[in-house]
Amino acid sequence: MDLSLSDEQQQIADSAATFLQEASAMPAVRAASESASGLDDALWRGIAELGWCGVHLPESAGGLGLGLGLVELVLLQEQLGRQLACVPFFDSVALAATVLRELPGSPLAQDWLEALATGEKRAALALTAGPVTAHCACARRTDAGWTLDGDWPQVGSAALADVLLLPAQGESGERLLLAVPFDAAGLQVQPLTTLDTTRRLAHVQCRGVFLPADHCISQGEALDVVLARTLQLGAIALAAEQVGAAQQCLDMTLAYAAQRVQFDKPIAGFQAVKHRCAQMLVVLESARSAVYGAACIADTAPDAATLLFHAAQARVAATEAAQFCAREAIQLHGGVGFTWEFDPHLYLRRAQASSQRLGTPSWWLEQVAAQLLDSPKETT
Amino acid sequence: MNLQETESEKTFRASVRDWMGEHLRGDFEPLRHAHGLGAPGYEPALAKRWEQQLAAGGWTGLGWPRQHGGRELPLAQQVIFHEEYVRCGGPGRLGHIGETLLAPTLMAHGSPELQARFLPGILAGQTYWAQGYSEPGAGSDLAAVRTKARIDADTGEWVIDGQKVWTSWAHESDWIFVLARCEPGSVRHKGLVLLLVPLRQPGVTLQPIRQITGEAEFNEVFLDGARTEGALHLGAPGQGWAVAMYLLGCERGASTLGQQAHFKSELEQVMAVARRNGAARDPLLRQRIAHAALGLQTLRSHALRTSSDDAPPRAVSIGKYLWSNWRRSLGELAMEVLGADGDVANDDALRQALQRLWLVSRADTIYAGSNEIQLNMMAERALQMPR
Repeated sequence: MDLSLSDEQQQIADSAATFLQEASAMPAVRAASESASGLDDALWRGIAELGWCGVHLPESAGGLGLGLGLVELVLLQEQLGRQLACVPFFDSVALAATVLRELPGSPLAQDWLEALATGEKRAALALTAGPVTAHCACARRTDAGWTLDGDWPQVGSAALADVLLLPAQGESGERLLLAVPFDAAGLQVQPLTTLDTTRRLAHVQCRGVFLPADHCISQGEALDVVLARTLQLGAIALAAEQVGAAQQCLDMTLAYAAQRVQFDKPIAGFQAVKHRCAQMLVVLESARSAVYGAACIADTAPDAATLLFHAAQARVAATEAAQFCAREAIQLHGGVGFTWEFDPHLYLRRAQASSQRLGTPSWWLEQVAAQLLDSPKETT
Repeated sequence: MNLQETESEKTFRASVRDWMGEHLRGDFEPLRHAHGLGAPGYEPALAKRWEQQLAAGGWTGLGWPRQHGGRELPLAQQVIFHEEYVRCGGPGRLGHIGETLLAPTLMAHGSPELQARFLPGILAGQTYWAQGYSEPGAGSDLAAVRTKARIDADTGEWVIDGQKVWTSWAHESDWIFVLARCEPGSVRHKGLVLLLVPLRQPGVTLQPIRQITGEAEFNEVFLDGARTEGALHLGAPGQGWAVAMYLLGCERGASTLGQQAHFKSELEQVMAVARRNGAARDPLLRQRIAHAALGLQTLRSHALRTSSDDAPPRAVSIGKYLWSNWRRSLGELAMEVLGADGDVANDDALRQALQRLWLVSRADTIYAGSNEIQLNMMAERALQMPR
């Protein structure tokens, strides 16, 4: 039992940090976030060349074959979050590729997976917390395949995707997962204006979209299990990104406090400032421990209840860390923290947007409360 | 990173469980789940016999080097021992200060003679130690100690005058390590010595302090011409500060994981009351309980991430602040879960446990470096902000 990084893992984290500090420096983030698509295309190609997109995928799909590889994925996510990298890595790699990986029975899913593993193609998964029936979407079986109608209101990075993975309901109420190519007739992907401009959302609409039979890549109870599992693994990956963002907020604040002079000394010397930075360190480092621990547990093939508990642990701690550190970064930067020019507000926007994806902290807490308090016997 | 137990770790866990099952019974039954002095059933003489039983079973000095009679077990096995010990109802460890604080300091700073004289008694559960650091005028500002030590030219002994306070378990201990000023006129961190002083002697008077729980776990220690042998100092006279700080640095590592197993049983008590009285259905309280459960898991992950010697110093620095604030919050939550019953004393064991938790946990963020001192240290040492 050990939660310290191995030499190889430390190397992954260090080289990712080095690469991204250059390739996703703030001017590039600003440029991409102010562009129409929100994508830093050069950065995406760089990431694809480094092989990051297959870090958690089996060799058969062109991946690295590191087992579940969640720890390694988490280390990359942490650095991507730290730099607010304007690429759909989380949506395409951590979410969409993960769900496809879990569906080995579908040849189409495996074809897409190979394309995602190289970064050549991108996907988006319309995944939300709670029952899939919450989607107002239904698929009808026809002689030749499926006809899909529905709305998926906020799908991460959907406008950058080559294929959309959309959960829907079949005519007899069973759950389905459909793969819809971006150019399918009747599909409309409407980009939304988001407060967090570094990661975009889109409204996805299907009106009588026809799909061949094999485009339904999973269904029924097996799909429920896979979607729940993907939500949990995705939550841990998202939490890692939040930890990286919190780290950057602390680093920016420390750098600013060291050079900002008031009352004839750097404000870093005032206890009121020091204690707040120390509190940022507490929430940040404890969240990092939570995320590493959860990733490590997930890699050991735990039962569903255990994975849920640890996903909640990572997600709740990391959301608190990202929100707290972003807010404190603005406060401790003082007046300039309120300007567009300084970066803290970009992290505040990302922290808020991320807190609402894949289940809010209160949703996760309720899942854990139900597990601990509603069953006669404690399950974790 | 690896959280899966190996076969040998599983075997080790089973061996702890088996041993506890065989030994924590009969005469020792009253100690089961008693977490320390002041807890019902925790009779000091019995607790000492239990320590000796543990020692005979080879369960003391788990992490100590073999040359000092330890077992040199890897960290994972130490963690497993502490977890399983508490899970099996193992009582609070009366030998904690000697085994985890003084002994490592003796190994690092003591002469071979001192090591040979004191380590075996600690290992065997025969000798108990108290800590003589804080004084009425030196709490967070430890370098303000005023207790004086001088050499008696006739006997070559140290003679000590002064007053120590908040000394846990002094009335049940045999020896005390005392931070004292040995160079007249010296100030702050200079001119200090760390002395090993027998507690049972005419120059030492103990006065219990009643704490907010109503119990008296700690004492004032008055030193009026107290004496100890001239050789019983750790490190050179005048260099006591560094040794004293080394000792404080020993307060982390595997033993905090044992403490967490104890926290887990406290959390389970809170949940048991919540299920019993309906607080578990209160939408806010159930979220807070879930939050506490996740927080405890984070304490565990954090300890596993920071126990090894090469752990990131920034992460290490938050440990005490993290657990103490978690537990203090649990104490507050316990009273919210009890509701109006929390103010009413009766003989229900669960209720008493939660009421006690609420009061006891107020000390967690004060002793061993208060929250405010912890934040200073994180800022100045880990984050290297200016002093």
